[in-house]
Amino acid sequence: MTIKSHGISLLINGEKIISHLDLEIIPGEITALLGPNGAGKSTALKILAGDIQPSYGDVKYNNINLLEIPIVERARLRSVMSQSQTVAFDFTTLEIIEMGWIHENNESYSDALEEIITICDLHSLLFRRFNTLSGGEQKRVNFARILLQLWIPKIDNYSRYLLLDEPFTNLDIFHELKMLKIIKSYLSKNIGVLIVLHDLNIARKLADNVTLMRDGKTIRQGPTDEVLQEDLLSKTFNTCIKVNDTSPKITFF
Amino acid sequence: MNEIPISRERTSVAINKNQSLILSFLSMFCIFALLAAISNGSYPISLLSILKGGEDSIQKTIIIDIRLPRVLLSCFVGASLGICGAVLQGLFRNPLADPGLIGVSAGAALGAAIAIVILPPGLSESLTGQLLLPISGILGALIVIVLLFSVTKGFGGHSTTYLLLMGVAINAIVGVLIGVLTYISTNTELRTLTFWTMGSFSGATWTLLLPASVAIISSIGILIPTAKNLNLIQLGEIEAYRLGVNVQKLKTRIIICCAICIGVSVALSGIIGFIGLVVPHIARLLGGVSHKYLLPSASLLGAVIMISADLLSRIIIEPMELPVGLITSAIGSPFFLWLIFRMRKHDY
Repeated sequence: MTIKSHGISLLINGEKIISHLDLEIIPGEITALLGPNGAGKSTALKILAGDIQPSYGDVKYNNINLLEIPIVERARLRSVMSQSQTVAFDFTTLEIIEMGWIHENNESYSDALEEIITICDLHSLLFRRFNTLSGGEQKRVNFARILLQLWIPKIDNYSRYLLLDEPFTNLDIFHELKMLKIIKSYLSKNIGVLIVLHDLNIARKLADNVTLMRDGKTIRQGPTDEVLQEDLLSKTFNTCIKVNDTSPKITFF
Repeated sequence: MNEIPISRERTSVAINKNQSLILSFLSMFCIFALLAAISNGSYPISLLSILKGGEDSIQKTIIIDIRLPRVLLSCFVGASLGICGAVLQGLFRNPLADPGLIGVSAGAALGAAIAIVILPPGLSESLTGQLLLPISGILGALIVIVLLFSVTKGFGGHSTTYLLLMGVAINAIVGVLIGVLTYISTNTELRTLTFWTMGSFSGATWTLLLPASVAIISSIGILIPTAKNLNLIQLGEIEAYRLGVNVQKLKTRIIICCAICIGVSVALSGIIGFIGLVVPHIARLLGGVSHKYLLPSASLLGAVIMISADLLSRIIIEPMELPVGLITSAIGSPFFLWLIFRMRKHDY
């Protein structure tokens, strides 16, 4: 039970944005997408989410082709966090979080909402207007919304997925660590995580697998320690990068 | 920690207490406005006599044949323009979207104007002629919407902007065509045309009211359940899709219902400006932006304002009558300016 993309390529106006990308998101594991700006990381995430149709290749959720899964059902299988979120009209923070509740029955709604708001520490923001929040606060609210989307009363065998596009940008160090912890705690709920990252140290600390990308091509794929090698990183990012065994493990000049 | 308890009964389908209070107040106002509009006019009838159904045959005729269809028509048209404004603003995520703005009202107007001028004078008095007017109005609105739809499909993610720009262009084209029709029309047709393009409920009859009310009420009934998905679409079409909304289906549903509401409204009462723009904003200022509250409240508030505006148009220079569109525009256009200033300040 995984999300698997097989040989996906994306052509826009004859230009290859993504070429031959194979990705696998496994429940209980974190897969990180790393690479310089414009490497195609966010685009890859959008293809896996079903936002964009790849020109070649296919995406399978739990062995079923994504195209054959109804849109409503897709929303129960995966939730997606964008880099930024704008909203028309002055919705309150609580109303934004509520939008994540896509389930038909409302029995467990109050419990779910209370639980999510507590673990994300959002009580003080609930009745503020979303558009007046800072960038970091908006990130935390959206994170709560996508957690609510995947909420289930008890853990079952149903594999579900979190697709996160740079979730930590704009967050202060306290909330960054908090979000890290929450993501890790969700792994035990039969949830797989795909995360687009820029911070190599977080990637090293958090990810089980890393896919290193550049210009839409896969440079290296594998367990985190195998991919995060000095020469490979230095070449990919065009920067002198050192990997230390003591912390901080990765320094750059 | 700053604890704000979430009430246990609160569920995502419900609206909050404040909002349901506003909705019940609006319903009361609506009934009050209906009664006031039936009772007042160039021939005042006391409330008691209305409840009895008229004291004598003159009162009966005035209530049943003149006042009631007129007041009900203004009620339905107000509700339909109010909810269409709210739904279109939501769908386009644009506080300035309005049936008039995207050219749908103009399309309906053109359809009806063509019917007025082309039909032979004898036929326009008959029942078929009367029914042809709203039907050509709906057709006009639908043609505009289908045109908008087919043209904007190719623009993908930017379709909203192009839709609004198309609306500007369509309004201009329709302005020209109606101008031409005005020029070639005879004197009697001209009077109908001008009176009707300014908006009026004076032509209300039961024959037209009954099919119109069925069309409008069922469209509103289909629009109100889209509230939850309309909320989600405020996050953007992609985010709405990610939350399980079939965006294309939602758009089709909303657009067809709006075409029916606007086509019928415009054909029966002319272009009545600014209701679709102003009403949803007042409703939002009263009770919040969630569409679960906004859609019913915009219909009720639209009805209240339209009934009152029509009453005003009848009694302001008694025994003469002002076109109701004049009154709504007089109230609506300063509001429109205020809205633009407010938007500039908040930098939407």
